[in-house]
Amino acid sequence: MLWKEKYELGVPLIDEQHKELFKRVESFMQVLRMASSWEDKVEKVNETLDFMNTYVVEHFRDEEAFQQEIGYPGEEEHKKVHADMVNYVIAVTEEYKNSGYDEQLIQKFAGKLMAWLINHVASEDQRIAAYAISKGVDKHD
Amino acid sequence: MTDLYTPFLEATRNVFHLMLDLSNISDQPAEWLGNEEELDVSIGFIGDLKGEVIYRLPHQTSLGIVTIMSGMEFDAVDEFVTSAISEIANIISGNVLTMLAEKDLTCDILPPVLKSLDSGEDYEFQTNILITSEVGEVCLDIRLEPAE
Repeated sequence: MLWKEKYELGVPLIDEQHKELFKRVESFMQVLRMASSWEDKVEKVNETLDFMNTYVVEHFRDEEAFQQEIGYPGEEEHKKVHADMVNYVIAVTEEYKNSGYDEQLIQKFAGKLMAWLINHVASEDQRIAAYAISKGVDKHD
Repeated sequence: MTDLYTPFLEATRNVFHLMLDLSNISDQPAEWLGNEEELDVSIGFIGDLKGEVIYRLPHQTSLGIVTIMSGMEFDAVDEFVTSAISEIANIISGNVLTMLAEKDLTCDILPPVLKSLDSGEDYEFQTNILITSEVGEVCLDIRLEPAE
């Protein structure tokens, strides 16, 4: 399973969104890695890609709102990391559609997405939680 | 020249621990003898230091790392695996940038590229860190020098 309990920040809204994101990415990978033809997989892959394009933006917005609420000093830097990822997802989606749904392109995208997401949640997002704890912020607000 | 061995080792340790739950890691400066089946990912450095770091992974190591991350079995180093390993090389190098900044060295990194031919250029700081963990060996081939 892609999601691990140690990734929890203790902020219910953000944790739920992270779990949903991991669940979708895991299901995306399972479809991609299935031993069936690309034609059989492409519809599900396209659905997930559309979901990522909207959900990722929504999640990043909520996470940034939380950072602002607690006065997280790394907010601007974190925002840039989010913006870079959003731009990457948009660019790959466009390239993928223009290529006529090229499988290699999307396999490459999924490999990077998995590693990026794990590092982002296991490392970068944990700093937000650590800051909230150090400032005695109630993360359940 | 500033010690570069330690930041790369520490960054790799941190990333392996956080992302792969690997904590039993050993290191040694060693010659990389190469492997017929290996993935070589180069990350270019620019700024106060210039050059590159090549992450050399036998295929079994790459497959082991991706299996840990995904919880799925992989039997070939394909586009998915290459991309995931390239991102890890990118993440480790990004962590190194933070450590270098603490030593007043301002650098940036370039996107990962697969290494095919060896340039054979000489660099002021050139060393291999052979890192061994449960998933196998990884060699960090560091080739850096101060920018003129």
